[in-house]
Amino acid sequence: MDFSFLPGWPLQFNETLRVAIALIFAGLAGEVVARLVRLPRITGYSLAGILLGPSVLGWFGVEELGSLRLVIDLALALLLFELGIRVDLRWFRKNPWILASSVAEAGLTFLATFYALRWMGTGTGLAATVAAIAIGTSPAVVMRVAAELRAEGQVTQRLFVHTALNVFYSVVLSKLIVGGMHGAFRADWLAAVFHPLYLISGSLLMGVAIAIAFRGLRRVFDLSDEQGVATLFGLLLLALALFQMFALPTTLAPLLAGVLVKHWDRRPHLWPRHFGTAGGVLVILLFVFTEVTLTGKAIVAGGLSALVLIGVRVLSKGVGVAAFGSFGGLSLRQSLALGVALLPMSGVAFVLTEDVRSIYPEFGAQIGAIVLSMTAVLELLGPIGVQWALIFSNETKTETKKGGR
Amino acid sequence: MALESFAKSRSLTMGIELELQLVNLHDYDLVGAAPDLLRYVEKQKRSLDIKEEMTISMIEMATGICENYTDALQQLTEIRDLLVDGADHLNVGICGGGTHAFQHWGDQKISDKPRYNELSELYGYLAKQFTIFGQHVHIGCPAPDVALYVMHGLSRYVPHFIALSASSPFVQGNDSGFQSARLNSVFAFPLSGRAPFVETWADFEAFFQKMTATGVVKSMKDFYWDVRPKPEYGTVEVRVMDTPLSVGHAARIAAYIQSVARYLIIERPFQPVDDDYLVYTFNRFQACRFGYAGTYVDPRTHEHRSIAEELLESFVRIEQHAVELGADEACRALRDDVIAGRNDATLLRSEWQGSHSLPEVVQAQCALWRL
Repeated sequence: MDFSFLPGWPLQFNETLRVAIALIFAGLAGEVVARLVRLPRITGYSLAGILLGPSVLGWFGVEELGSLRLVIDLALALLLFELGIRVDLRWFRKNPWILASSVAEAGLTFLATFYALRWMGTGTGLAATVAAIAIGTSPAVVMRVAAELRAEGQVTQRLFVHTALNVFYSVVLSKLIVGGMHGAFRADWLAAVFHPLYLISGSLLMGVAIAIAFRGLRRVFDLSDEQGVATLFGLLLLALALFQMFALPTTLAPLLAGVLVKHWDRRPHLWPRHFGTAGGVLVILLFVFTEVTLTGKAIVAGGLSALVLIGVRVLSKGVGVAAFGSFGGLSLRQSLALGVALLPMSGVAFVLTEDVRSIYPEFGAQIGAIVLSMTAVLELLGPIGVQWALIFSNETKTETKKGGR
Repeated sequence: MALESFAKSRSLTMGIELELQLVNLHDYDLVGAAPDLLRYVEKQKRSLDIKEEMTISMIEMATGICENYTDALQQLTEIRDLLVDGADHLNVGICGGGTHAFQHWGDQKISDKPRYNELSELYGYLAKQFTIFGQHVHIGCPAPDVALYVMHGLSRYVPHFIALSASSPFVQGNDSGFQSARLNSVFAFPLSGRAPFVETWADFEAFFQKMTATGVVKSMKDFYWDVRPKPEYGTVEVRVMDTPLSVGHAARIAAYIQSVARYLIIERPFQPVDDDYLVYTFNRFQACRFGYAGTYVDPRTHEHRSIAEELLESFVRIEQHAVELGADEACRALRDDVIAGRNDATLLRSEWQGSHSLPEVVQAQCALWRL
């Protein structure tokens, strides 16, 4: 008898199995963390990522991530698009203090990070790049924690706006710095000007195109039903494919598209609950895998500077927000909460670091050491900070949910 | 505790209070922005009367003493404009309407003030259910006994005021079938409904003494009657109206109440009796449920007619008084509404027919509030 219909021995773990186990494990970790310690689920996902990653169990390695990069990118694109919809350009005209506070907070963070790194003996180019990336606040953490707590109010609203603007600043600045490096490393000053120009204007055009396509779709479909949402997924996936073809960053265009959609059409843009679920699965993977990329070695390499930078970050975000908070209509309590809520770093920082690494591998590795160890700490502490801030400012709605469970 | 004495007020002056909704501009659900908006208002130092309400997604605005319709409209507009500026500053929406179309009462948060904390303690979930938005109109009365006469007289007109102002068809995400579903929430309170049948201030004081002796009430504030005397201001307060969708409509309704009050005070058209109230809750229910099309049972003749017919007759009856008060333009506009079968509830329902989206209905309410 021929036994070739049986699987070969030992059994080969395929990638689907790994992803499946990661999902189950992360989901469980999220629940455990949420129920037992009442921390945000995201913290559980990140912990699962650390446990499964190369530094502890070694279930996943960085090399396995290549094929999952699309998942991370799609999750981010969805989140950024949703975040963009929460940004109302009219608000800046009605209340310019919002912009002032954002520029102050981002500017202070950039300068303080830059000088702290210089003081620790880091080179100018490296310090500037890390400082640019450090401006960013993680849209994924902010959006998920706010959604989990069903938060709404001045702090939540401003948190979304600051986060969106910070993504914009950090992407644009880091692209400009990469441009500068073309000049510095290769003396290619033409590329120094045109590369960032291409990336930024390309992203703007793509953003406009997505927004127009979305408006067209909304005319045909009711986007709060399932068919409509499938189409929206398709649209963002198509956009991602185009970003790749044109070598454009994946972060700026979806964000801008969201902003334009809200600006052109003041109607509520709401997705059905299923969309939240599907998006939620992608987000779990996003957190697991950004944490997986951390190796113990990287953390140690960047460790000390990362800790200093986190301290600097707490101070500069807090002071920046508080400086203009009361003019913009916030109480001191709310300003404090907003400053803390702006701490998390993750997906966008990760993607920006990878982008630099793909052009200048060695330089990228140096940045990665610092940024990734900052991310490692802030991905665990950041969600807790956001949760604390939203509860502290009395903007959450979970009380009755708890009672109902 | 004794009842305070009935203050002096100029006859037929008005005061208007409006409770308003604060919503976010993303999904148009209620948002607890009252403390933020009050902080903004305080900074403007305009000494306009704006204060918190039971839950933090509600805010209350009130005029000072208004001479007439034009004055009332002007005062309301001034406060409205300040609130709209504040809402823009904070990127929140503000609007009228007796209920929010799809809020969940369990999500609401009680204002952090001793009085509201006490009420919440006492009434439990009823306090959060009380996230409803009404218009109150005060009418100045020359003497306390006149005030009681006006109170009983206006009680007959309660279905008119409900049908004219109705703006709460949607409750907790569903069409309630009512034109004013808000009043159903008021009815849950033990001291709601009609005032007792007393005709003199001395009798009223005696009633109040008996009630305080039971320990059930401490002040006039504890009575949630549809129409009640307000001795502190020297007025009678009509509280059955939903907050209209625009300040213009709110001023017109106040002008109509003022005209009816003048008709009552000057012509003394009937002597109130306790039996007038036999049909009171029936008529009130009909107005809430069906608006102008509801049935009105005349307490004396027992004749059944539509509230629209009653209203149209009333406009003729009070016309001269409206002219005297400068309220004729407002009353004519209301009459046109009645003839067209138009009120804020029908307007909200037709908005819903257009979009089939309650958030978009709330968005439309916010736009109307700025008109």
